[in-house]
Amino acid sequence: MSTTKPATGLSKKGLSAGSVGLIGAIVIGISCIAPAYTMTAALGPTVSEVGLQVPAIILVGFIPMLLVAFGYRELNRAMPDSGTSFTWATRAFGPWIGWMAGWGLIAATILVLSNLAGIAVDFFYLMLSQIFNNPDLADLALNPIINVATCLAFMLGATAISYRDMQTTQKVQYVLVGFQVLVLVLFGVVAFIHVANGTAFDPTPVTLEWFNPFAVESFSAFAAGLSLSIFIFWGWDVTLTMNEETKGSRSTPGRAATLTIIIIVLLYLLIATASISFAGIGTGEFGLGNEEIQGNVFFALAGPVLGPLAILVSIAVLSSSAASLQSTFVSPARTLLAMGHYGALPSQFARVSPRFLTPGYATIVSSVVASAFYAIMRFISEDVLWDTITALGMMICFYYGITAFAVVWYFRKQVFASARNFFFQLLFPLVGGLILAVLFFTTIIDSMDPDYGSGSNIGGVGLVFILGMAVILSGIVIMIVQAIRRPAFFRGETLSRGVSDGKEDDALDELPV
Amino acid sequence: MRYIVGYTDTPAGADALALGVRLARSMDATLDIVTVLRSEARPTLVPADAGYERFLHETAQGWLKDAAAAVPRDVRSEGHIVYAESFARGLLDVSRDLDGSMIIIGAARGGLLGRATVGSVAGALLHSAVVPVALAPEGSGSTVGLNRLTRVTCALGTRAGATELLDAAVLVARAARVPLRLISLVTLDMDDMATPPDIAERAATHAERVLAYAAEHLPKDIDVTVLTASGTRVEEAVGQVDWEPGEIVFVGSSRLAKPRHIFLGTTAAKMLRELSVPMVVVPRDPALTLED
Repeated sequence: MSTTKPATGLSKKGLSAGSVGLIGAIVIGISCIAPAYTMTAALGPTVSEVGLQVPAIILVGFIPMLLVAFGYRELNRAMPDSGTSFTWATRAFGPWIGWMAGWGLIAATILVLSNLAGIAVDFFYLMLSQIFNNPDLADLALNPIINVATCLAFMLGATAISYRDMQTTQKVQYVLVGFQVLVLVLFGVVAFIHVANGTAFDPTPVTLEWFNPFAVESFSAFAAGLSLSIFIFWGWDVTLTMNEETKGSRSTPGRAATLTIIIIVLLYLLIATASISFAGIGTGEFGLGNEEIQGNVFFALAGPVLGPLAILVSIAVLSSSAASLQSTFVSPARTLLAMGHYGALPSQFARVSPRFLTPGYATIVSSVVASAFYAIMRFISEDVLWDTITALGMMICFYYGITAFAVVWYFRKQVFASARNFFFQLLFPLVGGLILAVLFFTTIIDSMDPDYGSGSNIGGVGLVFILGMAVILSGIVIMIVQAIRRPAFFRGETLSRGVSDGKEDDALDELPV
Repeated sequence: MRYIVGYTDTPAGADALALGVRLARSMDATLDIVTVLRSEARPTLVPADAGYERFLHETAQGWLKDAAAAVPRDVRSEGHIVYAESFARGLLDVSRDLDGSMIIIGAARGGLLGRATVGSVAGALLHSAVVPVALAPEGSGSTVGLNRLTRVTCALGTRAGATELLDAAVLVARAARVPLRLISLVTLDMDDMATPPDIAERAATHAERVLAYAAEHLPKDIDVTVLTASGTRVEEAVGQVDWEPGEIVFVGSSRLAKPRHIFLGTTAAKMLRELSVPMVVVPRDPALTLED
């Protein structure tokens, strides 16, 4: 029997062309970036690295992200596969590097999952304390047992939602994203009003110098700031890959990606300048240089800036984290699924839940690992949120860098076929990949210093370094174990190396679904 | 005739397929085994991933292949992957497009002791389908196997207006050449009271009438029996009747149904919860019914 489709007008592909409009694409893009969550998590660590030059770093940090995202889009067109970086790097560089790229992606998303859940826990108790007007409730988040238990409950909820593939309606998405943006704008504007009225905590006048990347003290600080700002744009690349299912003209996805990034950059600049202007970068109670608040700045600043309206920030960050938890869950699960499918991991990972049509096993494994990781980190790190974000930046540089080089290598035979190929398949990804490689190695070397980042260390070696190395080395160990137990993938039998011959691109304009 | 089997690679899907095979064998119908994947028209937090969609499609093809392998050779079957917002929507679409005569699904898991519960898919279908919907109870696939039907039971109310239901049951009994049993369920308001004479009499007259009607439309060699079951509640009345594992029960739609649509009535819904044999809910004024 063949699985023929009746010719009577049943939809022929899953991706109904034209299901996402311009606004819809922008909403998805902003929802994936989750600006409220991203800013609260990344602003403090970035200030600690580059001081006043955060706005400059935000602008510069966008460049490598953009360059790599172009290459990402090329690969996604030529080889659409749920394994993304894993599959592409395997096709370009063979099984070993491909495996590590997949590992890097999974590690990065698991790091961000634990960070997201951690931020959500803080804001959950902050919101409770705001509702009941009882500041003691916010301190419950400081109790490690309560904190970890709440975090596990959140992870459980997010896992159930992902596993069952429950989706909100488009309207709810619009409302949540719109609300998030409005609250952030309100926060920025009110902070500036405080500065103008002289009621700010540490009024710091905005100067052009803030936007000058060359004013950053050292290259190390610059690199560290940059790898953090790559994290803040992480997720934006999805808008670039929405090419096939956006409706309207062919230019819709490009316009959506552009508009999304303009909105996000403006929002980030507003928040960054407003926060620094309001609180300064000193180490006082609300100063952004205060290590106590750097892992989660809105948690500390929402009250002083917005007063009774601070609860809006809590709701915005919570809803943003929730949306991001759900969208982030998808990528490690799909990569694990692809790795299981091609035999790089046990075949259970390739299991799809027949009822919910989600990669069920992979979703549960990601959730368990992220939960365990958070629980352990909460007890060994002085500032778990801060350290996970820094380590995350490192892992993003790692797998994005490999992906960028995979673009260059996979398309090597056709890069001179047209000017477009030259830019999008060679120049942009190559430069982006080189920047990420430099950032990755600089971060590794610098993070050995016990004072790096939050200052967490084990035996005089920085915790971020240990984290990064533990992730990469455990990846190598698991890879070797897999290579012994499941050699087919590592002999290139399930997913062979290849190089684009230029024909594939045309053939794949129509999705092979 | 084409019977639409709503298939998932789950025990419930296997139950539906087994019931489909049994019905198709008895009625000489073709099976259309349908797996529904979610159309990307629905809003999602993450953009659709072409690679994952392709993987799902391939996986679903594998499921359908396995399903087809489970269908005996004497039954013609075809597999389909359709895209729709929901499982129920997909089955309704495919049934409309293929001119299906019946939709067959497995009951949701979690009913007590093998009884069917109305899951979300069944619930949606049972309130909007225009063709009969057959529900396979949990585990029925493995206990009954793929044998033909052994008996058709038709649950009739005592009120007039259920002829299309009776017709459907008669047609199936005739085509499958199995005995037909007509059941009148009589519910009493008080539990310590014997059946009041007038109600009992009315029920008896009604039973005679339908028996005569059925006998008239069935060949001589097919048995027709009639049975009146009473109890304070529908559940109790149902519990008093003996059920064969190989039989199938026909129930009608509520009078709330739009013409030609199914609307699961309260009596039928209660029966569904009690019964451990497959049940077919027939729409009001069936447009595409089990025609001969």
